[in-house]
Amino acid sequence: MTLLDFARGPAIHWSLIILITGTIWRLLGVLVLTRGADLSRPRDAFGNFKGYRTVFSRAWPSGEFTTATRYQTAMAYVFHIATLVVVIGIVPHIEFITSLTGASWPGLPNAAGVAVGIIALASLLALIIRRVSKPAIYCSTWGDYFAWIVIAMPLVTGLMAFAHLGPRYETMLAIHILSVALLFAWFPFGKLMHAFWFVFSRAQSGVAYAHKGVRI
Amino acid sequence: MSTVTAETRVFPTFEQVCQGFAGQITQLREMAPEPTLSDSVRVRRAIDTLIAETNADEAVWLESCIRCGQCTNACHYFQATGDSKYAPMRKMNLYRKVYQREIGPFRWWYKLVTSEVKLKDLEDLQELVYDSCSECGRCAMVCPMGIDTASLVHHQRSALVAAELVPPELNALRMEQKHRGTVFGASEDVLRKMIDTIREKAGVDIPLDKPHAEVMVLSSAVDLVGNGNGLLATAKVMNHLGVDWTVCSDGFESANFGLLSGDMSLWKHQVDPIVAAAERIGAKTLVIAECGHAYPALRWNPMLKSGELPFEMIYMSEFMGRHAKAGRLRLSPLKGKVTFHDPCKTGRRGGAFDEPRAVLNAMGSDLVEMPANKEFNWCCGGGAGIFLLERATYLRDESFKIKMQQVNSSGADTVVVSCASCRLNFEAGRQKNNWDKRVESLVELVADHLIDEKKVGSVTPIQGAAA
Amino acid sequence: MATATTLGELLRSQGISRRAFLKFCSATASMMAIPAGMVPAMAEALEQAKRQSVIWMSFQECTGCTEALLRSHAPSIESLMFDFISLDYHHTLQAASGEAAERAREEAMHANAGDYLLLVDGSIPTIKACSTIAGISNLDMLLETASGASAILAIGTCAAYGGLPKAAPNPTQAMSVEELITDKPIVNIPGCPPLPLAITGVIAHYLTMGALPELDHLGRPLSFFGENIHDRCYRRPFYDRGLFAETFDDEGARKGWCLYKLGCKAPETYNACAHVKWNQGVSFPIQSGHGCIGCSEPNFWDKGGIYDSVPMGQFGTGPKIGVAATVGVAVGAGAAVLARGKKHKSEAELHSDD
Repeated sequence: MTLLDFARGPAIHWSLIILITGTIWRLLGVLVLTRGADLSRPRDAFGNFKGYRTVFSRAWPSGEFTTATRYQTAMAYVFHIATLVVVIGIVPHIEFITSLTGASWPGLPNAAGVAVGIIALASLLALIIRRVSKPAIYCSTWGDYFAWIVIAMPLVTGLMAFAHLGPRYETMLAIHILSVALLFAWFPFGKLMHAFWFVFSRAQSGVAYAHKGVRI
Repeated sequence: MSTVTAETRVFPTFEQVCQGFAGQITQLREMAPEPTLSDSVRVRRAIDTLIAETNADEAVWLESCIRCGQCTNACHYFQATGDSKYAPMRKMNLYRKVYQREIGPFRWWYKLVTSEVKLKDLEDLQELVYDSCSECGRCAMVCPMGIDTASLVHHQRSALVAAELVPPELNALRMEQKHRGTVFGASEDVLRKMIDTIREKAGVDIPLDKPHAEVMVLSSAVDLVGNGNGLLATAKVMNHLGVDWTVCSDGFESANFGLLSGDMSLWKHQVDPIVAAAERIGAKTLVIAECGHAYPALRWNPMLKSGELPFEMIYMSEFMGRHAKAGRLRLSPLKGKVTFHDPCKTGRRGGAFDEPRAVLNAMGSDLVEMPANKEFNWCCGGGAGIFLLERATYLRDESFKIKMQQVNSSGADTVVVSCASCRLNFEAGRQKNNWDKRVESLVELVADHLIDEKKVGSVTPIQGAAA
Repeated sequence: MATATTLGELLRSQGISRRAFLKFCSATASMMAIPAGMVPAMAEALEQAKRQSVIWMSFQECTGCTEALLRSHAPSIESLMFDFISLDYHHTLQAASGEAAERAREEAMHANAGDYLLLVDGSIPTIKACSTIAGISNLDMLLETASGASAILAIGTCAAYGGLPKAAPNPTQAMSVEELITDKPIVNIPGCPPLPLAITGVIAHYLTMGALPELDHLGRPLSFFGENIHDRCYRRPFYDRGLFAETFDDEGARKGWCLYKLGCKAPETYNACAHVKWNQGVSFPIQSGHGCIGCSEPNFWDKGGIYDSVPMGQFGTGPKIGVAATVGVAVGAGAAVLARGKKHKSEAELHSDD
């Protein structure tokens, strides 16, 4: 079995199994916990359910914090969007998703894919440089750095595979797939789970504050 | 100023009150009880408390932090000191550790790879959840995950109550309220004496223990043992409005050191007699004195099915605001620029933004806002009991500079507050910094600006004791 | 068999001009990455080269490799060169049969012991009874013949890597030459079939340089297998522009767009097909409209479907993922329910303390 066969076969398969089991495990392990009840009378002016707006409104910091959060918010947006475009936009990825789900859509030209991939990597670098240079603000744990590496690896190896840098293409492709397998396998256990938590976390605060008549 | 300036002051100025309090607080430290339980029991109780208070909401918040650092922009203690240990996200680390080890979905794994929580960890936590967090919730306004750090801090305060690690000043007051039912010695007798004094010296009548009343009014220890002007002003406003009101001798204390220290059972214990009194007299409205944390202690008490109670609970500023909006408060104009400082507990974490402003507008005042206002208001730095903690003096003083800068850039020459704790902190800060602003209480300002026709006609004849 | 004693004589006797011969030498030299300055010396050496004794063994194979080499439209220098060697044993081609044939092999082995080239096509079943020649199992015959060879050329993917016979479930327990012979220099010239030029090129290299060419990590001559077909493919610009044939009869297929999505294995296949091409440079599979199937790579038959594209996951889908989800639900909900119990216990404990 070559490295590529291993990567494309058991490695990615088991990582998907870990991803799915772990994600559901962690989500349910939290969401099935007891629900606290706030028995106090809600403020009439502002219905509870409107608190769910926070899920969306918190997508951008309010004007009060613009100056302080501009750099990070902008970079985080560039990173998330660029990564999403790369993940669902370039043909090999679409082919992989198709092989899993059957769904298919047109891809981007390679030049566009590479450009967006480089943008994603650049924004990721911009974020880590800030994190490293301002330790007092970020209070980073090893998990933060590990998550960064786990996210950066697929971008780096993907671009290298495309550019035919480093080892032969099929080896680089295998390393790329293995790095994604690592990402999948790590996803449920670290902070990458914020991809799910943000919905619940924002909604909870939104509802709790809406109960008191405050829009956050 | 207006019609009442000629009246001689019955009570000392708030500046004097503030200085007096400083002395009393010093005594508190000596009164604080020593821990009685063994270390292991204290740790176990802290952990059990966190387990018992963790619901899915808390778990999600603990899981969500990505250490993006944005909360540091919002926290006055971090901004004032730049010290990374005061970053809001750090204030949930120990809670997260306990959560991960005890009830998190991967607890079996975390039990293997993380160390046990020790008493030392809890002792270190004290500074983070008492001294350097006023539970103002400003960090929740910037957090991209929307984590409500303040509520997580509050649960940790509960854990430290269980571990007998409440800072001495807060602990002394908590114990006093728990065992004697008073705060700073403000007993039923003190209340009666104060009411008598007000009646005799100021000629203002305060109906005590009416069997039935529409409005039940609470007082607070600060007013009863120090600043009699607060209760006096409240009485003037109530009488001006002509409402059917009373103060109940078996439920008059707004201050709740159960909520402040994190002692949930005291919180509930302190609230029950107030609710019982209000039900007994058939009150429709319970007015909470200008005491910030008393508002959540009653109005937002999660243990109280207040939707089913026959009365509503509102803050003094809300009560006045409603009457101002309805045009029932007739006030003389207020000169100069004023700005309103929203107490965290009634503003961002209470939702009473419009009413105090309506009151100021009713005075035709030139109301200006601070650069960060309402939901984004900067905490004064003394909330959630921090004003009482001597150890937190530096944090309080440094963070107050942010507040001063906010007020200065608003251009106002007067800051109006509607919370005794904020007011004490503002006053202390004003004196320390020789700040050229005036600090006013909303209710006292209103009382000073009332246009009272009856009073104009009969200033001297004091009304009878019977209401 | 030709009677000329040197390659030069042979070519002249067949009417091949010196110009055509030099052209072959240049082409071979460039393919084998031999410096251009070496071409005259190479031509000289080749002209003077003596007939090399070669034994060709065919085991589990389809004769496609031999066909590819011999069934060219017109006789090429490649095939003539093949004529030039002293092919002492090749059971498809030789006139002799039965004992005479086997005797020819034994004589060649004896006469040129330690000096003959052994060419193998087909894989070797290690279940001996699966394939025998003259009562001798393929395995025994390979081991015996290999012992006196100077070098071994594994022709075709079956000999080089096991090929089709080795594909799962491998009923004959087939193995490749290099799995069985470890003490001889071996050159793998895989492909199903391999490019004829790759076979003769290696022989020419051996005859002129007296050594085997440089090999990659899979034992293939770098000169023919050093480059990725995808990088050399004339359809590559369509790949870069994101233009793909989605089916074999759509507009993209008619316009000659990239066959990546139709399972073309060119990106992971190393061979000279795209530039040397087949049938005197007429075409190669991708040019004729079908994706590369990666036939010169080990185990190509077992790497998923021919029409599965390169990045597709090669594992079964549905059930295991479904089981994973179910396990997640069970463990997650279970952990939370247990935590609820623990929470109530803590509450009770605290209550009893108070």
